[in-house]
Amino acid sequence: MIPLQLLTAGASGRVTQLMGGVEEVRRMEELGLRAGAAVEMVQGGNPCIIRLAGNKVCFRRTDALHVLVEESQ
Amino acid sequence: MSHSTSSKTITVVLIGNPNTGKSTLFNALSGARQQVGNYPGVTVEKKQGRLRIDQQDFTLVDLPGSYSLAPRSPDEMISVDVLLGRRDDVAPIDAILCIVDSSNLERNLYLVSQVLEFERPTVLALNMQDVAREKGVLIDVEALRNRLQIPVVEIQANRGRGIEELKQELAQAAHQEPARPESPFPEAFQEEVAFLERIAKEHSRDLPRYLVERLLLDTGGYLEPILDRDIDQGIHEAIQEARTRLQKAGCPAPGVEAMARYGWVSKMLDGVASRPSIHRTTWSDRIDKVLTHWAWGTLAFVLVMLAMFQSVFYIAEPASLGIEKLNSWLVMAAEAVTAEGALRSLLVNGVIEGVGGVLVFLPQIFMLFFFIAILEDCGYMARAAYLMDRVMSRVGLSGKSFIPLLSSFACAIPGVMAARVIENPRDRLVTILVAPLMSCSARLPVYTLMIAAFIPDIPLFGLRFFRLPGATMFGMYFLGIATAVVVVFILKKTILPGQAPPFVMELPTYKLPSAKMVLHRMLDRGFAFVRRAGTLIFAVTVVVWAIAYFPHHESQISPGLLAKRSELQHRIESLENSDAPSAETLLALAAKEKSAVEAKIAGEYLKTSYLGAAGHFIEPVVKPLGWDWRIGCATIASFPAREVVIATLGVIYNLGEDETDAESTSLQQTLRDAKWDGSDCPVFTIPTALSVMVFFALCAQCAATLATIRRETNSYRWPVFTFVYMTTLAYLGSLATFQIGTWWLAG
Repeated sequence: MIPLQLLTAGASGRVTQLMGGVEEVRRMEELGLRAGAAVEMVQGGNPCIIRLAGNKVCFRRTDALHVLVEESQ
Repeated sequence: MSHSTSSKTITVVLIGNPNTGKSTLFNALSGARQQVGNYPGVTVEKKQGRLRIDQQDFTLVDLPGSYSLAPRSPDEMISVDVLLGRRDDVAPIDAILCIVDSSNLERNLYLVSQVLEFERPTVLALNMQDVAREKGVLIDVEALRNRLQIPVVEIQANRGRGIEELKQELAQAAHQEPARPESPFPEAFQEEVAFLERIAKEHSRDLPRYLVERLLLDTGGYLEPILDRDIDQGIHEAIQEARTRLQKAGCPAPGVEAMARYGWVSKMLDGVASRPSIHRTTWSDRIDKVLTHWAWGTLAFVLVMLAMFQSVFYIAEPASLGIEKLNSWLVMAAEAVTAEGALRSLLVNGVIEGVGGVLVFLPQIFMLFFFIAILEDCGYMARAAYLMDRVMSRVGLSGKSFIPLLSSFACAIPGVMAARVIENPRDRLVTILVAPLMSCSARLPVYTLMIAAFIPDIPLFGLRFFRLPGATMFGMYFLGIATAVVVVFILKKTILPGQAPPFVMELPTYKLPSAKMVLHRMLDRGFAFVRRAGTLIFAVTVVVWAIAYFPHHESQISPGLLAKRSELQHRIESLENSDAPSAETLLALAAKEKSAVEAKIAGEYLKTSYLGAAGHFIEPVVKPLGWDWRIGCATIASFPAREVVIATLGVIYNLGEDETDAESTSLQQTLRDAKWDGSDCPVFTIPTALSVMVFFALCAQCAATLATIRRETNSYRWPVFTFVYMTTLAYLGSLATFQIGTWWLAG
């Protein structure tokens, strides 16, 4: 399991866990960033661009929320 | 369906995720028959349209785009209350129209699963078929209909495809029994909901099931206080107990909701929708390769912004000139139909010049809204926010604050209104509060006048192209930005504290902007400004006019001047009737002399008016800034709009009004010649000129902006706060500038 932002551009994975405040986690889940969701890193950096269910989403890491993913081979 | 039912208007509510083409569908369905207002107490727009399907009248209520119906703020509560028929200002709804993005059903159906729980007849519109096709998403619509057990219509809102079919489905659905779908929640949760419903009934409160569910899930504690009229202590304890039991049962609130709803979504979509396992590169991806690239993207961004601002000024200028012409024509018309006196002065100096002075900025405001609408509609705005996030997050804001702040360089009003795109309420408020610090175009006349009159045109650091006037102008813009950074920092540390929220934003697929949509948005927002700010500007202008005009008694004027005026009047009259060959030249001379006397009289009236008295009264306060009472007067008079200061300075230093213009050399000369009362010391020195500029760079002298802040924050607290903090900063900045400047020049 690695933090989402450590995925390199082009790599994909599956979200295993969201860690953070209840409200932040809920907002992310409503946007589709939830445990089990497949993600692909489109462009690294902070903020990074990920692909989530076919849509591009821009995401900036903060201390309030950590997204852990399982990188797929 | 009987005929009696068809006479009643059917209310349909439109809901969907952001970026699903909801506004386009709303316009396609209701055309021009729209009505926009505000729900009291919140910033949500109340948009309603009318349409007719088969002799039946429909009202279409547009709800704000949202990913979920889990209210955490008064704004989000509106949608839930409208859907539940709990609002007095919206008729109870007969049907729900839910629009979804076909290329992303996985996420969009989350909202659908909530919508279905309202148990109203629901129609699903599958929009953005083209994007789905390009991404290789396949949907078996017939199967989806069977799974969801509600009407499902494929549409392409921007081309108007599927709209007729959608209307037919709506007309039918409105008279049908709503589907009663099975709850997506696990048994344990449903039992607790039923239990709480029973308790609510025992306490004789009839809470809709959806709100009971939300109470159980709302661990953030937003709902309980606002529902306190409907619930009491007994229920509060029951909720706590229910949550403890759910925790033990392995479906803890609020996590159970995402688990249950996404579980339901994948059950609905299993074998119904599929997407290719490997993402197909779309043309949108290819554009993004350039536009989100750190170097090319930034370059493109700078070019887009430059082009936008150039065009705003280039296109808006002729229109502004037109409005100025219209103003002077109105002044002439008013002078023709009214007699000399208070009424004429109110019309000319108060209404036409005051309100007109603000209207001059309308073309710019409309142009800015126009470009912002294009950038939003084509999908670029999200990329701009992504690119700017790196910079903005350093000062504690997110990329979404960038466009509002940038727009504020043209005018703070569209800037403050553009802050609506920021969902985080704290970031939005901070952005609104610092937007007026960006040097808007109304400051330019003040800068131009002061720089041209007092800043020597000398090269800096021996560079021929880098000269003091330009550097001073740049300094004023920089001062606004630097102050904003410090203010953001302080606000985030003091009155608006809290951790920076994670920044997540969809980057929608690019599309060609639709002309209809862009024009619609521009006019919508532009007129919203005119409506909202107009009345307040008018009121303030009239008040300032009144204190500058009254008491207006001839005894205020020195007898010598009055005698001189009547003498000139007589001379002009006799010359007009004279046939002497030199009469014309003499007439011109006399007329010129008379207008100089009139200007002196206007100056004396102003000096002895209530405004003049106020200027004298505040002189001790503004003296440390290097100002005399006249600048104090002009500053008070410019409360409705900064640029008014120039006209007032012109009047108060006894200059004919015709020659009052920022570029006019005579105004510059008059200011250079101005002396302190009863002495030979010039009022304006370089430190004084800089102190005036710094004051106007930082002050909040713009009634329209304050009115917009009042509207957007829905409270008088924030415009008052903005005015107080900006005026304080302006005073201190101006004081420091004058004192340091004087000390430096002396040393």
